[in-house]
Amino acid sequence: MTDHQIASREEWQAAREELLKREKEHTRTGDALARQRRELPWVAIGKEYRFDADDGTRTLAELFDGRSQLMVYHFMYGPSYQAADPVNSSIADGLDGLLPHLHARDVTPVLVSQAPLVKLQAYKRRMGWSIPWVSAANTDFNFDFGASAAQEPLRPPGLDEDGLPPVVAQNAAAAGTDIPGYLSESPAVSVFTLTGGAVYQTYATTWRGVEFLMNYYPILDRMPKGRDEGDAWQTWLRRHDEYDD
Amino acid sequence: MTDHKTGTPEEWLAARLELLAAEKELTRRSDELARRRQELPWYRIDKDYRFDTDQGPASLAGLFQGRSQLLVYHFMFGPGYTAGCPNCSAIADGFSGSVVHLAHHDVTLCAVSRAPLAKLQAYKHRMGWSFPWASSSGSDFNYDFHVSHTQQEWQAGAVQYNFREMDFRPPAGQESSRDAWSESTFGEDWETYRREGPGMSAFALEDGAVYHTYSAYERGIDVLWGMYAWLDRAPRGRNETGIWWRRHDEYDSQ
Repeated sequence: MTDHQIASREEWQAAREELLKREKEHTRTGDALARQRRELPWVAIGKEYRFDADDGTRTLAELFDGRSQLMVYHFMYGPSYQAADPVNSSIADGLDGLLPHLHARDVTPVLVSQAPLVKLQAYKRRMGWSIPWVSAANTDFNFDFGASAAQEPLRPPGLDEDGLPPVVAQNAAAAGTDIPGYLSESPAVSVFTLTGGAVYQTYATTWRGVEFLMNYYPILDRMPKGRDEGDAWQTWLRRHDEYDD
Repeated sequence: MTDHKTGTPEEWLAARLELLAAEKELTRRSDELARRRQELPWYRIDKDYRFDTDQGPASLAGLFQGRSQLLVYHFMFGPGYTAGCPNCSAIADGFSGSVVHLAHHDVTLCAVSRAPLAKLQAYKHRMGWSFPWASSSGSDFNYDFHVSHTQQEWQAGAVQYNFREMDFRPPAGQESSRDAWSESTFGEDWETYRREGPGMSAFALEDGAVYHTYSAYERGIDVLWGMYAWLDRAPRGRNETGIWWRRHDEYDSQ
C-alpha cells in the first residue's frame, strides 16, 4: 500500500478544482509579467561584435538571420572545457525541436559560447543538434553581457567555493575542467531586437531565470514525486548519449 | 528608429531589477503550486484499460515501462484523422528532446490517442519523434479522462472539459469555415475533430496499483509548449492573432 493520502475520485476532483483556481491565478500573473517584460525600455547596442560562425564572421545584426527578434542562450562552454556539461546539453536537447515554431514567430534562437568554434562544431555533431551555435572567442560579447569572466569565477550570488551545489563539481568534471575553469562561464539569456538597421537589447536573465529552458522541470512539477532532487539538483542529468540503458 | 521606449543601460537595469523582483515572486509561487500538486490526494484506477503499443497490447500499468511515474500526453489524433493535430505536434516537438532525461528520473512520458496504432506509428515516423505513443482505440480511457467527447455531449453543448461543461459547437455562421479548416488539416469535419481535446494526466504506480494524481487541460498545458516560454520573453511576446502554428514540416519557409 502507498503512504500517500488516498481519496475517492470525487474527493480528488474537489481538491483538484481548488488547486485549479490557484493555477489559473498563476497563469494570469505570468501573462502580466510577460507584458511587463515587453514594456522594458530598449537599449541601443552601439558596439560592434564579431562572432565566429559556420559560414564565417558574423555581426550581431547578422545573427538575426533575417528575422527581427534574436534570443541568445549563453551556452556554458568555456575555453578550458573539453565538452559541454550535461545540464547545458539538456537545454539544447529541448530547444532543437522548437526551432521551426520560433522561426515562424519571427524569433531566431542562437547559442553563443566562449570556446573556439571548432570545439562547438565537434560537440554539436556528436549531439545531433541543428540549432545555430557561434563562438564569441574573438569578441567582448560574453564579457559585456555577464556570461563569461576572464578573472574571478562566476557563481550564484551568496555562494562561496564551499557553498557550491554538488552539480558544479560534477559538471566541471564532465566538462573536463576544474571548478574555477568551469565557472569562467555562467548560464544566461540575452534578447535583442533589430529595427531600422539598429540592434537593441530588450531583456536578459540568468540563474533560475533560465529555468524556462529546462522543459523537464515544469513536467516534473506536475508529477507525483515532483523534482525529487533535493540539494543534489540537476545531478541526475546526463548527456543524452551517456545514459546507461 | 524605433517607436518603443528606449533608455540608457542604467535605466534599463533599474527597470529590469524591478521586474526581477516580480519574476522571483512568480518562481516562488510556482514552487509552492508544485508542492500543492504533490499534496493532492490520489485515487486508485480500478478499470482495466487496454492499449495497443509498439510492444503489443498493454495495460495502464504496462505504460509505465518499469518506472513509478507516468505522464500521459493526450494527443489529439482521432480514429478518422488523416494526420495528428498541429497544436499537439508543436507541443510534442517541445517535449520530445526531454523524454530521455525524464525517463532517467523515473518518469515515462507516453502519448495516447484514439487513432489506430498503425496511424500513430506512421505519423511519428514522419515527425521524427521517438517517445512512446499508445493507441486507446477500443478503450474508454480518453472518455474517462475527458479528452474525447460523445456525440450526445457535443449536441447538448455540454462537453466535460477542464473540470467544467463547455460548448465547443461553432457560433452560427462559422460552421462552414471551421469545417473547411479542419477538412484541410485532418480530413474531418469540425465536430469530429473537436470531439478530441488536448490534456495531460499523471499517474503513480505503487505495489501494482495505479493511482491518478493530476490532470490539466487548456492553458494548464501551456507549460508543455516549450515555445511559449520563449515567446513570453521575446520583444513581441506571443504575438498571436489566430492559428499560426503548423506541423514542423509544413511551414512555407524558415
